[in-house]
Amino acid sequence: MSSLIERVGVLGYLAQNAPARWVGRTALMKFCYFLQELRGARLGYSFTLYSYGPFDSAVLSDLGEGEALGVLREEVISYPSGYGYQISCAVAPENLSELGGELLQNYQDEIDWVIREFGNYSAADLELASTLVYADREALSAEEEISIAELSRRVHEVKPRFSNDQILHQAESLERRNLLSAVA
Amino acid sequence: MNPSKSYEFRCPIHGFIVLNDWEREIISQPPFQRLRRIRQLAWTDQVYPGAMHSRFEHSLGVMHTATLMYDAIRERSREILESELAYNQDGLGRDRQLVRLAALLHDVGHGPFSHAAEELLPNINGGDGKYKHEQYSAAIVRAHLKDVIENHPSNANYGFKADDVAALLEGSSRAKQALFWRDLIDGQMDADRMDYLLRDSYHIGVQYGRFDLHRVIQTIEAVRFEHDGSLRVGISYGGLHATEALVLARYFMFTQVYFHKTRVAYDIHLRGALKELLPNGVFPKPTTSELLDYLKWDDWRVLGLLTDGKGGEHGHRLTTRNHFRNIYSTPEVSKLSDMDELKLVKEKLGTLVAAEEPASKSWYKTGTPDIRVVSETKGPRPLSSYSTVLANLKANNQVLLYVRPEHADDARKKLNEVLKKDEQSD
Repeated sequence: MSSLIERVGVLGYLAQNAPARWVGRTALMKFCYFLQELRGARLGYSFTLYSYGPFDSAVLSDLGEGEALGVLREEVISYPSGYGYQISCAVAPENLSELGGELLQNYQDEIDWVIREFGNYSAADLELASTLVYADREALSAEEEISIAELSRRVHEVKPRFSNDQILHQAESLERRNLLSAVA
Repeated sequence: MNPSKSYEFRCPIHGFIVLNDWEREIISQPPFQRLRRIRQLAWTDQVYPGAMHSRFEHSLGVMHTATLMYDAIRERSREILESELAYNQDGLGRDRQLVRLAALLHDVGHGPFSHAAEELLPNINGGDGKYKHEQYSAAIVRAHLKDVIENHPSNANYGFKADDVAALLEGSSRAKQALFWRDLIDGQMDADRMDYLLRDSYHIGVQYGRFDLHRVIQTIEAVRFEHDGSLRVGISYGGLHATEALVLARYFMFTQVYFHKTRVAYDIHLRGALKELLPNGVFPKPTTSELLDYLKWDDWRVLGLLTDGKGGEHGHRLTTRNHFRNIYSTPEVSKLSDMDELKLVKEKLGTLVAAEEPASKSWYKTGTPDIRVVSETKGPRPLSSYSTVLANLKANNQVLLYVRPEHADDARKKLNEVLKKDEQSD
């Protein structure tokens, strides 16, 4: 089981190595979800589904604690499309590896993979992709084998604001990378 | 049974709470009546004697508050609900009842003494993640409340399956568009926390948890998060200070009540005693074969076993009120250097340390909630961008160390040595 300081180290690494050298709250949440669900990192979070995708308030708590410790820094910034958060790492990379300890050491390749695969996604794309993965895993645990169209239909019922084409396109992209498990 | 009849329950927080016949049938079922035998705040009465209230009254309060929130959002945000979530009049009426049922049943899966014992819920499939009480609630709804949900005459108007309620509780894609309302039950600004802050404050006799519930309700609405386009629960600008007070109420309740050093000591003892009392030291799983066994665990059963002298050292400490003593605490907002000092202290005290409790482990821990405020001239902005107080509020990451009372003097001497040494080196 990971310790708080190790998890804060992982959050710091994610922020520090993201393409922009910082992440928003949506990105941080969904990166942690992918890391745990797609790469098996033992972060100990319990994600459940909301209309805005998989979420666990424990990630925000860790973020708050990381800020209190002086490892993470969070500011409200103005995006072209509105206001959001900018989370950056406040410690040097060499200190981060000490904080992240075994957790960071064991999963550094997996974290790098998440950043490579999803680092350039917009917040909306992250929300959609993570919801597709969540619905796919639900089907898997119910021992269902579903088509990509069925998976997209289920996600569309949760997120009618996304068009069928958008959802299908994202699902196909995940499927091409072998990230869906229940899709036949 | 009279489907058209309603029933009023007196509530010290909300005045009267009105239930329809269907809901009254549901709360009459044994799994819900069990909540009368589960205290909301575990052994907090050892510090605040008034804290004897139960999950039963809180559950009614959450249903009432969630309904006020639902009605306010439906009234203020009808257009966006129709355009973004494809709701119509019937759909909104249907999901109002669904939200009421989910709010009413959200805590039906709690174990004895509520959150205090949650650490003893088993691991999921032997992995790192533990089951949460919400998963027990969903399982109980499916297995033990299916009949009363699906076969009550009132359900002819809705056609609900027990699974619809469970899906909303556990957060599943099967909840479909209704998932939007999950924020009212388990979200950043939910009916659960609004009710428990007010209710806990009332029973304990403190003012820390009070805030202007009605002003929050009056200003709540569906808000589109511009950066990702998602629709979430937020507030209009007029509710800014009432919501600020809600966040601060949670902060003060955490520091003054939920993470009170003696209250936390009783959580340690309860967990320790339950480890002795439960078969294999963990609660039964929320599976068909084990759920009935789980439902047999309530405060009364635990208290009976403790009265019989069971529960080992911790059980004895609970019954004799001879709790562990808090010997050392890091600051409420601890820096890395404070954690280094903690490490030194732990090394010096060695086996004298009987327990270590970080704030991060508490169910009531304080993160920074993501609540959006909408003004007429500006788009949605995070609450903290309007509130200097909240912008500077840091999460409590304190760590408390405990020793046995009989070792307290010895531990204090050692602690003074290490802290004095530390002071000299400064």
